[in-house]
Amino acid sequence: MLTPEKRLKLALHGETVDRPPCICPGGMMNMIVEELMDLTGSPWPEAHSDPHLMADLAAGIYTHGGFENYGVPFCMTVEAEAMGAPVFMGTKTNEPRVTAYPINSVSQWRELNNIDVTTGRAKVVLDAITLLKDRNSDVPVLANLTGPVSLASSLMEPVMYYKELHKNPRDAHGIMAHVTQNLITFGRAQLDAGATVLTISDPSGTGEILGPKMFRQYAVPYLNQIVDALKASATGGTIIHICGRLKSIYPELNMLTSDAISFDAITDVKQVAENVLGKVLMGNVSTFALENSPPEKIKRLAKNCINNGVKILSPACGIGPRTQLQNIQAMVETAKDCR
Amino acid sequence: MTDTQEKLLQSLSDCVVDMDEDKATEMAQTYVDNNFNAYKAIDQGLADGMERAGKLYEEEEYYIPELLMCSDAMYAGLDILKPHLDKEESGDKHRVVIGVVEGDTHDIGKNLVKIMLETSGFEVVDLGRDVPPMDFVRKAVEIGAQLIALSTLMTTTMENMERVVEILKEENQDNIKVMVGGGPISPGFAKKIGAHYSKDASKAVQLAKTLVQEAVPC
Repeated sequence: MLTPEKRLKLALHGETVDRPPCICPGGMMNMIVEELMDLTGSPWPEAHSDPHLMADLAAGIYTHGGFENYGVPFCMTVEAEAMGAPVFMGTKTNEPRVTAYPINSVSQWRELNNIDVTTGRAKVVLDAITLLKDRNSDVPVLANLTGPVSLASSLMEPVMYYKELHKNPRDAHGIMAHVTQNLITFGRAQLDAGATVLTISDPSGTGEILGPKMFRQYAVPYLNQIVDALKASATGGTIIHICGRLKSIYPELNMLTSDAISFDAITDVKQVAENVLGKVLMGNVSTFALENSPPEKIKRLAKNCINNGVKILSPACGIGPRTQLQNIQAMVETAKDCR
Repeated sequence: MTDTQEKLLQSLSDCVVDMDEDKATEMAQTYVDNNFNAYKAIDQGLADGMERAGKLYEEEEYYIPELLMCSDAMYAGLDILKPHLDKEESGDKHRVVIGVVEGDTHDIGKNLVKIMLETSGFEVVDLGRDVPPMDFVRKAVEIGAQLIALSTLMTTTMENMERVVEILKEENQDNIKVMVGGGPISPGFAKKIGAHYSKDASKAVQLAKTLVQEAVPC
């Protein structure tokens, strides 16, 4: 029988597997629920800043019959904080969030800090990955990065950011290149610490927000720079998660160099399969259903995803912390029954 | 209406669609210098331009960056025209309290809805982002708003939308309607918590108009 690590690696490289893996990457694609914090004794917000609590919590999901991977961190503020944004660490059921912006315009990008992976929560994440790697080598550890558009728009007022993509393209590309370099540094450190798969999630850099032209200019090249720089170290494969409707950006998605793309529940798997070629599809069980429906319905939804063409079963987005563990288990069981 | 006025109205509308902030200021100033009616310039010039921009957004010609640029041009024109409005024209409007629910700081969607509502003649009080449920209710009661508009991008914070509806009930203020929107929000979710769903900013305006009509006691 394949180990979870081996199965995910094969699936991400488009090879035949006994059954689809069922994962949830971490980062913006949150996999942590309140029940699990209680079971592992590792609650938010403490687990965001302590490598042992972080590792215990991340490992708990697999131990308790949930997703077949480990993934840290549990939020998308680590990079922004390291680059100068103050962050409120949230509560037991709300994720950390940026509370102020270090710069006011893309033209000030040179004033941003560089991510220092030897200190702060960047180091917490790396230490947690090392702990997870030592725990069970059969389970893949996923490195997580906040996408470049989402990171840039966490460092300044997003309204201003989106306008300056038009008004000041030179500095807009300046900040994008700068955050991209920092993301590569942080991503490489996570892979060096023991992660084997890389996921980039860019909820603010979607086709729905940017439109195809801007997505091509400001999302695709920088996402690809990260993937291309880290591909060799991410031996298990690379995943890009794009939120929102994908209809307007099918040609652009074909330009992405990641092994897999993961997407939202509002996007129809069959349509993506027809329009995006050469990519492993991952997704897309509705997180709303996961939080509010009984396990039988989750099984039906998960089965549909697989039948429609996803090769890796996962939630459509980060899951709500009040989601019942039994619903996550129902998802995993569906994947396991699919032989 | 003179030819000059008509041309200026068209030009104001075009400035908004073309995202030309400087020209919008210039045109609004020329319009005012000619002593034409300021309300008309907002209604048939700037608001018309925003409506056209909203259509282009629906047709997927324009996206968020373009809409934000259009709204800058619209506000630039508005700044010149507002002081020249007659009293009764700037008088009683439907009031809306808007914000991003506690736990989330993504406010692009909220800002767009606010812009479109303001353009359509609503008076909008913006509580910003990361707003506790109670604050929405307090503010709405304080200013006599008929509508609360809630936005979130994060699944993890949707529950706070439900809290707002619950608090309204607890405080016997459920004549105040709630509309919700944002990435993870579905019509099903809205219905379940007793709120009204809007898919995007231009749909939000139509929904808001319907809801305040219903809210007016016969």
